Amino acid sequence: MIRIGIPRALLYYQYYPMWQTFFEELGAKVVVSPKTTQAMLSAGSSRVVADTCLPVKVFLGHVLALVDKCDYVFIPAVRSLKNDIYNCSKFLGLPDMTRAVIPECPDILDVDIDVNQGMSKINRAIYRLGGKLTRNPFRVRRARIAAEEADKNYLSLMVSGGLTPPEAILNLTGLKNSPEVISPMPVQKPVTGAVSPMSVQKNGITIALIGHPYLVYDEYITHRLIHRLQQAGCRVLTPEMLTSQELETAVNKLAGRAYWTYEEEVVGAGGHYLNSDVDGIIGVMTFGCGPDSLMMDMVSRQATRLQAASFMSLTLEEHTAEAGLVTRLEAFTDMVYRRKRSRQAICV
Amino acid sequence: MRLGIPHTGNLYIPFRAMFERLDIDYVIPPVNSQRALSLGVRHSPEGLCLPFKLILGNLIEATEAGADTLLMVGGNGICRLGYYARTQEQILRDMGYNIEMVTLGVSNHKLFGLLKLIKQLANNAPWLKIISAFRFGLAKMNALDRIERRVQKVRAVETSKGTANRILSKAVEAIDRTDDYRMLKKIEADYTDQLNRVSTDDEAHPLVVGIIGEFYVVLEPFSNFDIESELGKLGVEVRRTTFISEWTKFSLFLNPLGINEKDRLHKAALPYLKRDIGGEGWESVGEKVLHAGKYDGLIHLAPFTCLPEIVAQNIMPHTREKIPVLTILCDEQATKTGMMTRLEAFVDMLERKRRVKKISLQAVN
Repeated sequence: MIRIGIPRALLYYQYYPMWQTFFEELGAKVVVSPKTTQAMLSAGSSRVVADTCLPVKVFLGHVLALVDKCDYVFIPAVRSLKNDIYNCSKFLGLPDMTRAVIPECPDILDVDIDVNQGMSKINRAIYRLGGKLTRNPFRVRRARIAAEEADKNYLSLMVSGGLTPPEAILNLTGLKNSPEVISPMPVQKPVTGAVSPMSVQKNGITIALIGHPYLVYDEYITHRLIHRLQQAGCRVLTPEMLTSQELETAVNKLAGRAYWTYEEEVVGAGGHYLNSDVDGIIGVMTFGCGPDSLMMDMVSRQATRLQAASFMSLTLEEHTAEAGLVTRLEAFTDMVYRRKRSRQAICV
Repeated sequence: MRLGIPHTGNLYIPFRAMFERLDIDYVIPPVNSQRALSLGVRHSPEGLCLPFKLILGNLIEATEAGADTLLMVGGNGICRLGYYARTQEQILRDMGYNIEMVTLGVSNHKLFGLLKLIKQLANNAPWLKIISAFRFGLAKMNALDRIERRVQKVRAVETSKGTANRILSKAVEAIDRTDDYRMLKKIEADYTDQLNRVSTDDEAHPLVVGIIGEFYVVLEPFSNFDIESELGKLGVEVRRTTFISEWTKFSLFLNPLGINEKDRLHKAALPYLKRDIGGEGWESVGEKVLHAGKYDGLIHLAPFTCLPEIVAQNIMPHTREKIPVLTILCDEQATKTGMMTRLEAFVDMLERKRRVKKISLQAVN
């Protein structure tokens, strides 16, 4: 049976159920890399120049973890999903860069996805991709339909069910054959670092996290940010819990016409949550990301104008020590809690 | 309306020529300086590249000098540059300046878009006048670039270092001042002649180094510490494919006709990079492949955090075609000393390589 490796990084969080369904329907076995670890990040970093952005280093670490475990690695080059709205360069250069810096990598399946070139080109690309596994084009068509169905379920689990991508993936794949994970899941160690005493119980604060899913849901990069916030008693909202309609409206309102494919996760979610009744917004980005700097700047200016929710931008990079992150989180949640309490006191 | 424009190399000269002929009220900010950089850095979001910060500095200085409408490039599908105009507008407005931002699209409808924009700014002047002004601006641009190409060659072999640069600054000033075609031709001929008469060392065999990389930092000497002059001082002949006149010729005229000068570069890069990744990433890899074996070395210029160039930088060492490449990152924290140290070491290495190759060839014969 052919094994297709999918790195648990970058587009995994958005499209995994779709891809898994597609490949399994065509009779392949899907192999996913384990959750990010220090060793994987170091291995990935060692292959590229220092100023490559962190998500790419993590991605390469995941590819390295798949090296002897599969026959092909699936790395699509997603250029554009809507007319005139393009994706960050790293997605476009990913297959070729991986090939160059990881020569021992198994064959890379790279598909070009660019709606500006017309749907027929994308269709041909998908059939070519399926053709690697089966000669029957009808089977490819069926697999594609099943994959699109899986994607719809995935999105609805997150939007209506309020699940985060990892939870939704677990939910969905629990129904079918679960993806083979290379090594056993690391034991969940208890969250270290003091937790502010006043927020041990549910404190009624809602914090929205905005940022790309490959950052927000990677527990290693963010030092288990979502878990920490939940432990501190906050309710956490993320961009995946919004419909694409809401996100698009918010982007158009805040920034005018969208420019980047993944602008919705930052500007769209930020704009939407600023106008809802969340108490605080945390923007998660990595050092050196120009688009994120621009987008966070836009959201932060709007937050200043509206004076509604508190906004904090969290810049992560590979040297982020936990203590620094914990301190900032505590200070932020304290501030948000105090602000809310004093507002409620005034209202009463 | 008073129009302000940012700086990219000598671009202000053709623009000034057009504005003068069309009676557009304009202000050109001071050339890039430490002040422009500090202003830009202070008001920019942190993770942005040097071009953004310098351009923001220019726009702030233009606004201080009285501009109320600012011209900036934009477009879709080019690198993050397309997002700059709207962010800079917000920054300037939040600073309290009541300005209008006018965006020149560089990705679609380029020539027509540019002419339409100029017509709008020129209070709907007649088309004939606009085209004539545009042609004059273009003529100045072409003259400037032709002189600069000559200077690149002379700088490497002149006996009295700095002569070519002095002639260049006088030529630039003279071209900027003139408002007449015939005068322009005469000035160009005059200064080219002066350059040809500069005394040069006939025994010199200068190393040939190509400059590749991101568009802005290649063209703007302030951002790259005037690297071409420094290489000239070290006796190196610089070759460059990126010139604004080249970009204009292809982007505005020949590309719409289907002639793409970059096809050659893209084809060369295909085994290593199969698709366009934005910015000049694809071109950088292609230039390495094409010039390996022809030039002695390449200098790859990129702003810090420029992702297309980072991808190119990661792919370049793995090509079969070998040529020494030095990547220099341009950033507000960089110092000239740091760059010079690297440059001198690089040139030393290239000279040594050439000597060793010559000796081994002689031994074979």
